[in-house]
Order: sequence, then C-alpha cells, then structure tokens
Amino acid sequence: MHIENVSRRRFLKTTAVVGGGVVIGFSLTGCSSPGPLPIELAEGGFVPNAFLQLLPDNTLRFYTPRDEMGQGVTTGLSTLLGEEFDFDPLDMDIRFAGVHEDYNNPGMGVQATGGSNATHAHFDQLRQVGANARALILAAAEHDLAIGQEQMSTDNGEILVGSERYPYGQFVKTAATLTPPTEAPLKAQSAFKYIGRESTRVDALAKSTGTAVFGIDIDLPGMHHAVVKRSPVAGAALQSFDAELVKTMPGVTDVIEIGSGIAVVAERYWQAKVAADALEVSWTSVPLSKVNSKTIRADYEVALTSNEALVPTDEGDVDAQWNSAEHVLEADYWTPFLSHAPLEPMNAVVRIQGNEAEVWSGTQGPVAAQGLVARFSGIDPERVKVHQTYLGGGFGRRGTLTHIIEATQIAVATGKPIHLLWSREDDLKHGLYRPASLMRLKAGVDAEGKILAWDAARAGGNISEDTIKNMMPALFPGLGDGMIDWTVGLAKGALKGWVTDPSSIEGLFEDYDQVHTRIKHTTINHGIPLTFWRSVGHSYTAFAKESMIDELALASGQDPVAFRLNNTQNKPRLQNVIRVAGEALQGMLPKQGHYLGFAAHHSFLTDVAQIAEVSVQAGRIHVHKVLCVVDCGIAVNPDIVRAQMEGAIMFGLTAALHGEHQIQDGEVMESNFDNYPILRMTEAPSVDVVIIPSTDKPTGVGEPGLPPIAPAVANAVYRATGQRLRSLPLRLA
Amino acid sequence: MIEFKLNGETVSTGEDPNTPLLWVIRDTFKLKGSKFGCGAGLCGACTMHVDGVAVRTCILPVMAVADKNVTTIEGLSDTDDLHPLQRAWVAHSVPQCGYCQSGQIMSAAALLDNNPSPSAAEVESALAGNICRCGCYPRIKQAVLAASDAMPQFQNALSTRQEV
Ligand code: FES
Ligand code: FES
Repeated sequence: MHIENVSRRRFLKTTAVVGGGVVIGFSLTGCSSPGPLPIELAEGGFVPNAFLQLLPDNTLRFYTPRDEMGQGVTTGLSTLLGEEFDFDPLDMDIRFAGVHEDYNNPGMGVQATGGSNATHAHFDQLRQVGANARALILAAAEHDLAIGQEQMSTDNGEILVGSERYPYGQFVKTAATLTPPTEAPLKAQSAFKYIGRESTRVDALAKSTGTAVFGIDIDLPGMHHAVVKRSPVAGAALQSFDAELVKTMPGVTDVIEIGSGIAVVAERYWQAKVAADALEVSWTSVPLSKVNSKTIRADYEVALTSNEALVPTDEGDVDAQWNSAEHVLEADYWTPFLSHAPLEPMNAVVRIQGNEAEVWSGTQGPVAAQGLVARFSGIDPERVKVHQTYLGGGFGRRGTLTHIIEATQIAVATGKPIHLLWSREDDLKHGLYRPASLMRLKAGVDAEGKILAWDAARAGGNISEDTIKNMMPALFPGLGDGMIDWTVGLAKGALKGWVTDPSSIEGLFEDYDQVHTRIKHTTINHGIPLTFWRSVGHSYTAFAKESMIDELALASGQDPVAFRLNNTQNKPRLQNVIRVAGEALQGMLPKQGHYLGFAAHHSFLTDVAQIAEVSVQAGRIHVHKVLCVVDCGIAVNPDIVRAQMEGAIMFGLTAALHGEHQIQDGEVMESNFDNYPILRMTEAPSVDVVIIPSTDKPTGVGEPGLPPIAPAVANAVYRATGQRLRSLPLRLA
Repeated sequence: MIEFKLNGETVSTGEDPNTPLLWVIRDTFKLKGSKFGCGAGLCGACTMHVDGVAVRTCILPVMAVADKNVTTIEGLSDTDDLHPLQRAWVAHSVPQCGYCQSGQIMSAAALLDNNPSPSAAEVESALAGNICRCGCYPRIKQAVLAASDAMPQFQNALSTRQEV
C-alpha cells in the first residue's frame, strides 16, 4: 500500500476566523460587494478576492464557501480553484468562510449548501477566480523579475522560468498594487491536472485522527450546557412544569421556559441531561395529538379519490389511451416518514457579550444561523459572528436550525455562553421528517412496449412549505412573525393556484417518453414537521416509478433494460447509463439463489442506473452487491463521486430495509438506533461504481445515487420470491 | 476522586462517579475526538479502549475505569507517526462527514491488537456495533484489511505505541 507522506499542512484547519485586518470583498467583476470580508489578514497577506489569501511564505488560504457535511465539497471546490490558480488542493490551508454575500451559492443566491448543486454552481466561478489570481501573480512576477510572461509557466504555486522556480508568495507585494484581471482565459479540459485526478480527500487526515472540529466539540471558558425538554407532540404548548426539584440537582444553574419547551442549564452536560430527565412537564393537546399512522394512511387514501387534487401536469389525453393500450397497470405505493439521523446530533454554541454575539454550529446555511441569532437576541446581524464547523452529517437536516434559536434564547435568558446539545431521542422524536407519501400510478403500454400514458397521483405533506416557514425568520431577521405567516401563506396560495410544490412530486413522471401525462397532487398536512431529506421527492417517487416500470416491462414480456431503453429515446443521457448498466448486467453471473434487480433515475441533473444483487433467506432480504453507473458530467474528483454513490446507496438501503417512523397519538414512537435501525456493516453490500466519461459541466453527486436503490432491490426481491413489494421499508409477507 | 490512566498519563477526577466516561473525557479532560452519537451503546461513536478492550463509553460510568488504562483516539498515535489504520484510512479516503470515524478506528484497532490478520467476516462482526450514517462501510472494511496486511511493515509504529 502506498502511503502519501502527509504533512501537517495537509490538515484541513478549522480554526475559527477571528478579528484582524479588514478586507474589502471583490466580486468577479472587480466591483466590491457590500461589507468587509470575514477574513483575518495575516502579516503580509494578500487577498485578491473573497476566496483566497496568499501569504509571503507561499501559504495559500482558501475560504471555502460551501459547508462540508461529508459530501466532499471542500475537496471539490478547492480543486476547481487550484486547477486554474495552479496550486495543489492538498497543499492549501482551507478554512470555512464566514458570512458574506461573496460566498453566496451562485445557484441559489444565498449562502446555503444543499440540492447537490455546489460543484455545478461554482464550476465556472471558482475556476475564473483562480485564473484571474494566477494572471495577477504572473503580471507581478513580470514586473519584479523583468522577464516576459511568455517565458514563464507555473507549477503548483511556483512560477517557472527556465530552471528557476519562484514561489507565488514572493510576488504578493507587487500583486497588491496591480488591478486584478476579470476574464483571464480558462484551461481546456485536456489540460486539467487536478480536476479528474485520483486523489485523497483534503479532510481525510483530520477525520482519521479525531482532530476535525465539529459543532459539538466547541468549548468556551465559562460555557454552560443546556438540554431542552420538548413536547412529545409537535406544536403542543406547555401546560405546567415543576422546576423546584430539578433546580436543586447537582450543577443545575437555570431552569427556564423557552419557545420549544423547558431548558435545563448546568455546568456539565451530564448534569443537565440527568436533571432534564427528572423534570415533570405537561403539555396541551393539539389536533395532531389524535393522529396515528393508520389514520394518516387512511386520510391519504381518501385524498387520492377526492376531487380536491391539484393537477400540475396534464398533457395529451390520458383517459383516451386506456382502451387502446395493450396493457394497463395500476398500483399504489407507500413510503413512510423518515429521519435524517445524522450521527452528530443537533447542537449549537452561542455566546452573547454586550451587543455582540457569536455562534458556532455546523449548518447548511451560516447566513441563516446569523439571522436567527440576530432575531432572537435583538442584536444586529452585522454584529453576529458565525463560526462554521464541520457537519457530522447533514442530509438536509442542518438546513433548519431551530436548535440555534433555542441556544440563543437560553443564552439571552441566562447571560451565559451556552452549549446546547440534542440527544438521539430528541433527534428522532422531535425532528423534521421526510414526508410519508401514498402514490397511485396507472400506466398503459402499447403492443411494442411503448408507454402511452402515465397517470400519477400523490397524497402527503408538502415539503417546501414547512421548510420555507422555518427558513424565513433566519433569512429575514427583521421580519415580524405576522409577516412571515403572511409571506408563507402567500407562497402557499401561489402554489395552490399555479403549481404543486415541485419538491413533493419531482421524479414521479419526467424520465420516460410517454406523450400523455397527468399528475395530481393532494396536500394533507397533519402537523408533523417536514423538510428536505437526501434526494427529497426523488427519495420516494423513484421507488414508485421504477417499480411500476418493472411491472410494465414484465407485462410487456420485455427485458427490464430493453424496456427502459425503448422508452428513453428522448433522454439520451439517461438512456446511456441504462445501456452501460445493461451491458454490465450481461456479465454479472449471480450465485445460485441470488437475483438481480434494475432501476434508473434522473435527479439533480445527474443520471444513475443501478443493479442490485439480492437473496432472500429465511424471510430476510440480503443485498450482496450493487453496480452503479453514473453520468455526472466531469467528475472533478472521481473517488468522491464513487464515495457519494456508495454512501447514497447505504443511506437508501437503510430506508429500503429498515426506515420507518410510527406515529401514535401524534407522537413519533422511535427514539434511538434500537428501534430506528441504521444499516450496519454486516448488511452493507459491496459497490462497484462506473463513471461515464464526460465533457459536460459537473452535475450533482450527493443525492442522485439514492433514488434507484430501493426499487432496484424491490425489483430483485420480486424475481427472488414472486412478491411485488409496494411499500417501504420492504417487508416480505 | 477516581484515578485512572488516560493515554498513558495518570489523571484523577472528582466528577460524579456515575457520569459516563465519555463526558468526563470530553468535558473535563477536553479531549473531543471521541464522539456522542446515541448515548445508549448502539452506535459506537464513543468507543475507547479500556485496558485494551473496545468499550462504549457513553454508558460506562467513570467509576468503572478506576485504576485502569483508558486510550482515546488522541492516544492512538501522533500526527507524525500515524497508526497503520489511520494511514489506511487516509489512503482509502474513508471518511465522509468523519463523525463516526474515531469510533470506527478504535474498534478496528482493538480487533487488530487481538487478531492481526482478520478475515472480512471477522472485520464485519468486530465493527457491527459502529454505525456510519454516511455509509463508508465498504471503505472501512477495505482499509482495515489493508492495514492488517500491512501490519508487519508497521510493527515499529505499533510497538512504540504500546510502550506509551
Ligand atoms: S454514543 Fe456511545 S454507542 Fe453511541
Ligand atoms: S463518516 Fe459520517 S457517520 Fe461515518
């Protein structure tokens, strides 16, 4: 085994960026954006733009604008910049950027990370930033060395002239006096040396030595620990509680009421936890208190037959096709509420001193963290400093930051620096969930196996509405509560008259060539808080769609690959991953008793086809092997593409085989990993990933590996047992 | 006062003897490499070695380690002399979010101490108590096997570590 010599420089530092020199931001066009950059100016440091600081000793600090939750974005973005600046990402000193408009996600217009869009959205921007900075250093070198640029080349942070090498850092003084170019030419793909390279992650060492800093690890002088006791039923209000006993328990300093429940504050976490467990609290009853898993499903069933449904898509004449179709199939598919359950439970550290506040937390939106602290402390957002940390998993969960609201409220009420930590029980029982869905699909195929008509309906909660409501106070800290309700209501109203929340139905109908398509949606909201969950709507629509496609192929007497190829003539990239996977399938010779299942899906601009090799033994489903073919445009770091496919498959297998929340009297019943199991190593298949070579701009990789796995397994289970399982998690009769 | 050895040094604590070892290590001794994932012995994020055995410290009262040797991820190696598992972890780009990895490595290290050339099935069962929500399992398995194959060539690193 070859081991790279890993130097200390290759630690991804997560030192909080504090105080120091004020640096003005530069946009790509050279115009400055509002406000000082949250960058600490080093001695002699040169900051040509918000992303870089070059030091005289040739240290390159890269301020990464997106949040690292394991998806490898830090490696990817540093590679984009490093490619054009000509600086090895493994040699950069990488730091999480503070809050500033220059760090906005170009695909969202806000400083947030999600939707598998970072590499796509920053692909042009960060390469341009790197190219401009390199041109500037070359111009400075030309001046200082009095040598023409045509005699210079660059190599990993050094300018080469003949056999001489000059570190970039040597030229920072002169560079600071020059006007940075804005449109330096970009390299051709054939000249890439870091993009596409097989290389380790920039954060691998820190994460293999216990030195990577997560939000939970922040420890401040005088810090107190808080645990919050919340209502078992979302939205119920506090009725009464008895703080007296708890107040006398060891270490306890404060027992206070906050918006979401009762906060117990102590000198140590364990003291706060023991005291909160002993606290007796009673809560009001709300409509959700009468809701059970069974009633939810029954309500969805009624909704599917009601006339209330919105019809966001109605193309051609669906009803006219049923008579002429050779085969018409109709089936219902069920998918349950799920938790994200990132391994690091929610936490936040908030310190308020006078009219200044600081917050430390790993979030998918540092600007939202800033906005929430400002809103709930009354301090101006400009005076709220955000310290981003690594995220111990995100999956959509760390876009909603009610834990930062809680920590802020407790810090304000107690006047102490507060470390708030949720337990696993808090995470599973008081979280935000992937909505449950009931989907009814009806489809007709002609005698050649061409899909004629596709009629799909979904009933369930709306994902975006809850998420918007949770994000509004963060993004607009000055907006009153009434205004927020009004604005969200407006958005909801707008959705009603115009189109269904696209997140809730995405993936249900777009992938195949059928001409006649109708989509219906009925929103049923029981009050269980919802949010984006890795691959969002695709996480359940792909299960319904790809199970139905398998049934249609079988009904047509066609091979599932041939059937899909025949019905994706207008989707060449999707068709190609199906073809490549289909060819690989020919060479897969499953062991006796093992069966193969196929599925494909397009999401986040990326196309994925998967084959699952499955056996069923003693009524248990075993997934032995998965082949995954992905077209994600240019693979900026191929190994991270493979890792994301592997991880998404494991995440999707937890959902396919185990994931399910039960609701009883409005309460989420699962509380820890014993009753909400996560896939373990003993159940994990081996995964082979094939990346389609491409010259296209990179597309998403964090989420698209997830949607096909559940249907691929379900389709294999059908071949193994003859049982068509149309509910997740997959359970044999 | 409860006295024990922490990464080779004698330490003592006056914390409530029922406090789980994890919190004493994190909050009193400020070693943050061991993580909290479930608090119920179900995920392995808090794994440390107590007298060489991999233990879930979120449910182990600190009094249970009186006079014993506790090793955390911080004591497994130093940066310039990584444990073979850590080298393999980096070479295979094992971590995603990274949060489970201290626990994974500590469980794997205890396995290799007792069984330097485990089979794939032995790796799986030794690590079955460690959840990785990011799904790094295929790489964790590969890295443990690679480190185990590599063991002879890293004997020095191992013996230095055991003297500490
Ligand atoms: S935190 Fe100890 S086993 Fe999960
Ligand atoms: S790397 Fe994220 S939990 Fe294992």
